[in-house]
Amino acid sequence: MEVLLGITGKDYTIIAASKAAMRGATILKASDDKTRALNKHSLMAFSGEAGDTVQFAEYIQANIQLYSMRNDTNLGPGAVASFVRGELAKALRSRKPYTVNLMLGGWDPITEKPSLYWADYLASLAKLPYAAHGYAQYYCLSILDKHHHPDIDFEQGMKILRMCTDELKRRLPIDFKGVFVKVVTKDGIREIKYEDDMPVKSA
Amino acid sequence: MSRRYDSRTTIFSPEGRLYQVEYALEAISHAGTALGILAQDGIVLAAERKVTSKLLEQDTSAEKLYILNDNMICAVAGMTADANILINYARQAAQRYLLTYNEDIPCEQLVRRLCDLKQGYTQHGGLRPFGVSFIYAGYDPQRQFQLYQSNPSGNYGGWKATSVGANNASAQSLLKQDYKEECDLKEACGLAVKVLSKTMDSTKLSSEKIEFATVGRTKAGKVYHHLWGADEIDALLKEHDLAKKGEETAENVG
Amino acid sequence: MVRYSLQSGWARLPGRICSRSCKTRLELYEITYPIGIPLTTPPGTCAVGVKGKDIVVLGCEKRSAMKLQDTRITPSKICLVDTHVSLAFAGLNADARILVDKARLEAQSHKLTVEDPVSIEYITKYVAGVQQKYTQSGGVRPFGISTLIVGFDPNDKTPRLYQTEPSGIYSAWKANAIGRSSKTVREFLERNHKADMDREETIKLTVKSLLEVVQTGAKNIEISVMAPGKPMEILPVEDIEKYVESINTEKQEEAATRRGGRTPGTGTAAILTRPADDGPSAS
Repeated sequence: MEVLLGITGKDYTIIAASKAAMRGATILKASDDKTRALNKHSLMAFSGEAGDTVQFAEYIQANIQLYSMRNDTNLGPGAVASFVRGELAKALRSRKPYTVNLMLGGWDPITEKPSLYWADYLASLAKLPYAAHGYAQYYCLSILDKHHHPDIDFEQGMKILRMCTDELKRRLPIDFKGVFVKVVTKDGIREIKYEDDMPVKSA
Repeated sequence: MSRRYDSRTTIFSPEGRLYQVEYALEAISHAGTALGILAQDGIVLAAERKVTSKLLEQDTSAEKLYILNDNMICAVAGMTADANILINYARQAAQRYLLTYNEDIPCEQLVRRLCDLKQGYTQHGGLRPFGVSFIYAGYDPQRQFQLYQSNPSGNYGGWKATSVGANNASAQSLLKQDYKEECDLKEACGLAVKVLSKTMDSTKLSSEKIEFATVGRTKAGKVYHHLWGADEIDALLKEHDLAKKGEETAENVG
Repeated sequence: MVRYSLQSGWARLPGRICSRSCKTRLELYEITYPIGIPLTTPPGTCAVGVKGKDIVVLGCEKRSAMKLQDTRITPSKICLVDTHVSLAFAGLNADARILVDKARLEAQSHKLTVEDPVSIEYITKYVAGVQQKYTQSGGVRPFGISTLIVGFDPNDKTPRLYQTEPSGIYSAWKANAIGRSSKTVREFLERNHKADMDREETIKLTVKSLLEVVQTGAKNIEISVMAPGKPMEILPVEDIEKYVESINTEKQEEAATRRGGRTPGTGTAAILTRPADDGPSAS
């Protein structure tokens, strides 16, 4: 019951990931960061099998950073997504596949546009204006369908995110301990303070 | 076999030079001239082909100019057989990059891949270095149009106009004299034939003796590369008044 | 545990290793060793490294671009190995590319396996190790480059400066030079290096030492500065110009004072330059 959410807007991409680290129905940690910065303008959020996630994310991170060092330029978000998909697909057909679901938020310095990629452990890849993984899909996609627009500014984006997390709190049977929120813009990746303890009225 | 060839591994001379590499460079200095000119809206590559015969099929036997991928071409000076190996390698590298990242390989990276391979042959395995220099012309969104040159040692550099092969010193000085930074592709083509006509051994230019290619962008912004046909080259030569009368050319070729 | 290798980036080179018998190999090396391995740096432009109090500066002689060269694409002699390690080299360009690439791969691979970024000494040892390997294994020639490796260890404010040579030797320095005329520059540094220099002094000394062998001034000098926890900084030409100017005026003043005899020194000079005999002995 991990939550991954992504919303793109006019000039930014917001990524939100739940803070709870779980094993079965037990919460082990309430401040787990499920994201890794790959380079200046790419952020990857991951959920799935406990050991696989971090192992895979750090492997990808090392390779993307190696690319940056070697070529003195950062890989664009589209290229990062293709590379990640390729690695997932390779792993899927190996003896031990990674069970990892991913969300890639980025900002492309060449086209100057934000982007969001959604990938699952079967190595499907889709570029989307907004996305969710896991149970969050059931509760949030309808909200996003209704309120999202490609040109929304940052405040509106955060407002929609708040609607999503409120709905999740209302409906998810397990407390996911709030979310880490990060945003990718032309200036890079930055963490957003997010109030997790606001009371939510039940429906 | 290994014994015999290992003893010929490229090694440093007492002055710290690599003679094998210098011999390779020497081999190239006898090859037909090739040159490249960077313009505002594109790049032109031109080359002199040494082997000409009336019996040679014109369209299918490119000797000096090759396509590497959708947005890069190159000109070759040196041993064509060696060049074929490297071009094959470059084409594969370009496609592999496209497969991995779903976008075209940046020009400098492709050049570097090839140069890393060339470097390897000066350091490893008791083989001789590749006897080819390249001029590369390409486009990528990061740095727009780019022109590179590489040599057997595995060194490369970016240029606005450059030449390799026989008479490359005089070609280089002609380019230095006449190159204008703000020139467009059409002017660059003019400069290319002018320089070639002055550096080639034979005074008579014809489409059989030279190869021509351009990289540019269409109005829609799509990158194209184009290896010129004989009629296009002849038209260009005529325009610059460098072509000889049809009969004379035929005689000369015989 | 499954170990994952990083993408190696290029196809495996056909480097066959001759191993007919030990005897043949020894015979081979009796011939190639004395002339095959350059124990000193092969020709190449000059590079300088200088440590200050909490700063380390790399300086390079830069060949001026020819008229037709594309200035956007000039491979630099100073490269980043990881965000906290930079490397300057003198020698064969193409060899350096390969060696730096190996170092970069090791830096990332190290970070992936043990979480911490590499220390400067570790990566120096690795680079020197690679260079050594190429002097001993069959069917290869050594790397024709010397390197200066500088930076700061993670969570540490001590500047580091190491040198590696084609033979695989590495050593730590307060200041050093490699490449063309490195002896002249090293001697200059020996005379003028002081402990605990601040940022300005360190950069100035680097520029000044390079000016010993670079006649053409700022446009042929490249300077990179590293400070703890900060990204590498490449100084713009205008800044280097300023240092060159202030050094030149200082030199003129000094010459004037010497001629004028008893004029009291201004005392504002950041770095004292005196003839070797009466200068304070540094390092």
